Amino acid sequence: MTSGSELTRFQDLAAATQRLYGAVQTLQVKAEFLQPATLDGQEWFELLRQKLVPQLGEDPWLVAAVVGGTNIGKSVTFNHLAGSRASATSPLASGTKHPVCLVPSGFSERHDLQAVFPDFALHEWTAAGAALEASVDHNLYWQTSPDLPSTLLVLDTPDIDSDARVNWVRADAVRRSADVLIAVLTQQKYNDAAVKEFFRKAGAEDKAVLVVFNQCLLPEDEQYWPVWLNTFCAETGITPDAVYLAPADRRAADALELPFYERPWPVPSDWGSDSLGKDSPARNLNQDLSRLKFREIRIRTLRGSLKQVLDAGDGVPHHLKQLELASEELASASKRLSSEAVLKIRDWPSPPNALFVEEIRIWWKARQQGWAKKINSFYDSVGTGITWPFKMARNAIQGEPVPPINRYREAEWSAILTTVEELFDKLQWMAESGNRMIKPQVEAVLQASTRTQLIQKLKRQHATVDFDEELKNMIAVEMASFSEDSPQLFEFYRQLHNVSAAVRPMTSVVLFSLGMGPAGEAVAPLVAGAAANAVVHVVADVAGGTTAAVAGEAALSTVAGQGSGMLQAWFHRLHTVFTQRRVDWLTNLIRNELLGNLPEQMQAAANLPTSPEYGDVVAAVDQLSVLLQQVTNSPEAPDAAKGDLARPDAKADTTLGNVTAEHAVEVTPNRSNATQESNEI
Amino acid sequence: MTAHEQLEHIALLAEVDDLTDRLTRWIDDCPEWLTAHRARALMKRLLERVHTLRFRMETPLVVATFGGTGTGKSSLVNALVGREVTAVGRERPTTSTPILLVHPEIEPEALELDLTAFNVKRIDAPVLRDIVVIDCPDPDTSETSETGSNLGILREIIPHCDVLLYTSTQQKYKNARVIDELVDVASGCRLVFVQTHADLDSDIRDDWKKFLSPRYEVPEMFFVDSVKSLQEQQSDHRPAGDFGRLLELLSSQLGAARRVEIRRANLIDLLQEALAHCRADYDANLPKVQALIETLEQQRIRLKETLTVQLCDELLVNRTLWERRLLSSVTDMWGFSPFSAVLRLYNGLGAFIASFTFFRARTSAQMALIGAVQGARWVKSRAKENEAESTLERLSTFGIADQELQESRLVISGHIHTAGIDYVQSDDRRDLSELRQRAATLEGEFLGDAGRAVDEVIEELATASGGWLTRICYESLFLAYLLFLLGRIGHNFFWSSFLGPIVSGSGTHEPLLEVDFYIPALIFLVIWSGFLVILFTWGLRRGLTSRIQKFAQSMAESRLLHGLFPKLEETCRHVVRDDQQLTTLLDQTTSLRRYIADSSVGCLGGRRKEPTES
Repeated sequence: MTSGSELTRFQDLAAATQRLYGAVQTLQVKAEFLQPATLDGQEWFELLRQKLVPQLGEDPWLVAAVVGGTNIGKSVTFNHLAGSRASATSPLASGTKHPVCLVPSGFSERHDLQAVFPDFALHEWTAAGAALEASVDHNLYWQTSPDLPSTLLVLDTPDIDSDARVNWVRADAVRRSADVLIAVLTQQKYNDAAVKEFFRKAGAEDKAVLVVFNQCLLPEDEQYWPVWLNTFCAETGITPDAVYLAPADRRAADALELPFYERPWPVPSDWGSDSLGKDSPARNLNQDLSRLKFREIRIRTLRGSLKQVLDAGDGVPHHLKQLELASEELASASKRLSSEAVLKIRDWPSPPNALFVEEIRIWWKARQQGWAKKINSFYDSVGTGITWPFKMARNAIQGEPVPPINRYREAEWSAILTTVEELFDKLQWMAESGNRMIKPQVEAVLQASTRTQLIQKLKRQHATVDFDEELKNMIAVEMASFSEDSPQLFEFYRQLHNVSAAVRPMTSVVLFSLGMGPAGEAVAPLVAGAAANAVVHVVADVAGGTTAAVAGEAALSTVAGQGSGMLQAWFHRLHTVFTQRRVDWLTNLIRNELLGNLPEQMQAAANLPTSPEYGDVVAAVDQLSVLLQQVTNSPEAPDAAKGDLARPDAKADTTLGNVTAEHAVEVTPNRSNATQESNEI
Repeated sequence: MTAHEQLEHIALLAEVDDLTDRLTRWIDDCPEWLTAHRARALMKRLLERVHTLRFRMETPLVVATFGGTGTGKSSLVNALVGREVTAVGRERPTTSTPILLVHPEIEPEALELDLTAFNVKRIDAPVLRDIVVIDCPDPDTSETSETGSNLGILREIIPHCDVLLYTSTQQKYKNARVIDELVDVASGCRLVFVQTHADLDSDIRDDWKKFLSPRYEVPEMFFVDSVKSLQEQQSDHRPAGDFGRLLELLSSQLGAARRVEIRRANLIDLLQEALAHCRADYDANLPKVQALIETLEQQRIRLKETLTVQLCDELLVNRTLWERRLLSSVTDMWGFSPFSAVLRLYNGLGAFIASFTFFRARTSAQMALIGAVQGARWVKSRAKENEAESTLERLSTFGIADQELQESRLVISGHIHTAGIDYVQSDDRRDLSELRQRAATLEGEFLGDAGRAVDEVIEELATASGGWLTRICYESLFLAYLLFLLGRIGHNFFWSSFLGPIVSGSGTHEPLLEVDFYIPALIFLVIWSGFLVILFTWGLRRGLTSRIQKFAQSMAESRLLHGLFPKLEETCRHVVRDDQQLTTLLDQTTSLRRYIADSSVGCLGGRRKEPTES
């Protein structure tokens, strides 16, 4: 396979990663109701952001970082790499608080450094102590170093175990970006929990790791370091690419003359204290770094990171699984809730019949024509004239009567209060029995101040309702539809005083419905169509006025149903419609003032796995998995890339193209030249 | 132990007993409040620990090493006892089973430790005469604290320790895991700070001290080379320098005489920290209860206002009733006199007529004015009654409308929920009857007050308008007519028709006055007395309106004794009281702690009294 096709494959990978990166963020916004773990801080997402997005599709430059616990000589090691006192050292712990980066000359012109380190504010590094200053911003100080290979960046990082936890965050960010980790360990710290946790992640991402045991008591510790390293490797899953020992020699460290002795790993079976060359020379870490197989390591770490991102246990699939579980949990919870979240409004007051009769009369009068109108108005005038003295007398004795509409208004306010009270009961029940996602949302609704506000708002709104207008509109609409095809209109008018609504309508309000469960089923047929999207439903309860309503519908639809029964049903219908309009008014108000779009949010969150955003992420994951598989299966993929320290005679391999041939030879597991030499001798 | 020491010792014990007693009382008196329950649960657990501590007050102090792996805990222990008793190593971690070092003369069973968990060694070393030493595993190699891990083992030992030897090195003194663990273990333990590896590391004690001092008292830090000190002791040299001073500290400060003091300091420390924790919890949650109290108060004020306004309105409407009350009050004051007899007659007539109307007190104002009699014009009063019926439908049986009760309940229940008060509302669920009854009781109280106030007002008004000057005026005006009449009749009877003719001898007897005189005289008497009565009642009524308004004002300013939710109010008061008690307890413990720490602990370190933020 040619490198050209590989190039496109990597560009495909880059595009797919970008897509996943975007899709995941979109999904996160969409899934807000489910309170998913924040993306920031999740290992796979940080890998996407800090490693894959900036590095995929770029040339194979390497990021090498010196990492380790506090006060064990990271900066000393870094200075050795830099060949100068680049990073300030101090005997006091957690000195380095911001990463320090050596950049090869020309690199910053060819690349956007900011994109390479997206989490850091970059500063050109002038003052030596800058990285020691504590600050809340994540800073990164960089400096051009002419000695470095043109594609190698070397970083000194803050510690991973001090109580300044912000240092950990910065070290983690550097670790993710890095391809090569120079792990500085000591006798005291190689088995510390914090250290193990840090390097376990690095191991999972398949980083190349050079282990440096610093502050060794030589030669006593020669017998211990293999034990230490064995423990370290067993705990972290890391296979080091090289191992160095550095003596506990403070003066040498201060003078930038600390020697690093290379040791073989895995330790050969015939290894003993005598197999050590008498004058085993100190190695130059910088040169060893330069000899790394850049391209293989780069591919290997990218692939390692991608694998982490796509890992079923901790990666995106896990995140999706969590979302799905949360969504399912919410769905089943809201299913349970929606079967309970039905408010039955039993004692909504019926407006007095007199009001209807009056309103219908007015409507009728406006419609009379010709002599009928005259006769009617004549009789009305006569009637008024005759009853006038009686009325006046009654008023004089009993005072002006309270208008029936006012009485209705008061009764309705009572009913509203009862309803709101029941609503709060329901919500409280939901807050108590709801799951972790529903609870806080409902709790917020339940806050005491909103109750007072809600009552005040409702009261104000209720006071402004014009019932006469409401009644007039309703009568106009209903009577118009009635008059259209009913020959019984006059009959109805004649019997107006005899008819009455026998059964009070009962109304149900469904607060949260997913169209499932008993409430949903009751609602679904009734709100089909336009209202189906609204989750707060008002349903004239069929159960409450069953017979009347059913008989009414039937009677109205057939001509057979004649006489007063039909008119009775019609009148009942007027009542029902009016009540329903009023309850509708209330529900809308409650919805606007109290619930907001909580029901819709809930519904959307419960259906998250079927949303396009979710599908997008799944698709991106699938695509990436396929691409990753292709890269892994490709013959040039450096499967044996574990241990890539190049032979001293090997050329510094920093170019993309001609690796293939060289790699075919490069199948022997790494062995340090010290071993080889001693074997040869 | 001398007698004085014994006495002192008993006094110390008594002090701790007193504190725990007070705590127990506080725990038992728990308001129905979630936060209070939580605090109780915490303190109860702690008191259990206090009790076990009390039993072993007198046993030797338990000194344990504490510090990261590789910081030389075992080496330090070896150096302290002067021989190799616990393994030291270059592999991490070395010590997993804690080692308990006990002097042969001390019975380890008395320490109430689970001895099976330790590797017990009986060592005859001078430093062990008064203390036992535990070499603990490290807190920083285990990633979890499950049982059996080093961290898990450590956490089981620490509660039994009195003093911790906190060892650290240049590499580890800022290790987050150790620092985190130290926060947990430091309460209830004295601390001794030791920097080890003096042979290899630089002296970082200044930085270490600076690092620790925001949270801990750091009186002294020791910089030791355990290996060298062990060698010195093995070759019978007395260790000098920091290690020598450390040994000195262990033997002088932790001796038998100091045991109780140190333990008591630890105990108070623990209590104080727990109480401070409760305090913080209270502080976070109390505002919600205060919001509830505030709302209850507002409700009460609103209720009061509603009642007052209504009462005021109705009092102004029922002028006739006022008139009756005032008249009867004035006549009572005046006793018997001609004009007051007229007033009585007028008032009594009204009462007589009113008795036909089966008058019942219908409104609050009428209830307040009860005892007064319904005046005449019963037709009008009857009409009024009808009207009252229709308005009363709205105003429930008493003055407070159902809707208002419902609103209150709704708002209050929200606050109860937020505040986390455990208040059973089931009584006033659905059914307003209980609330109504309470409202009625309230109104009864209110009307009782109002009735008394009305009596006062009437008394005052009566005194003002029934003064002696007014009385003389009216009496003389009334009497003037009566006297004139009597004079006229007397003159006619005695003089004109009898004595006059005899004296003058004229002999012409005028005839006695006839009925046609008496009828107009009577008519004029009625007119005159009627005129006077009207004049008088007009006088009485004058200033009534302003008086009633003033009265309403005074009613509004007085306080209702209870609100609609007496049980809830009681709970709120209980919470407030409980909060104050907690503050008192905390203050007492804090001051005790300060006193103890200052007087007894010397150069042992510990948690800071009040952590300073740095």
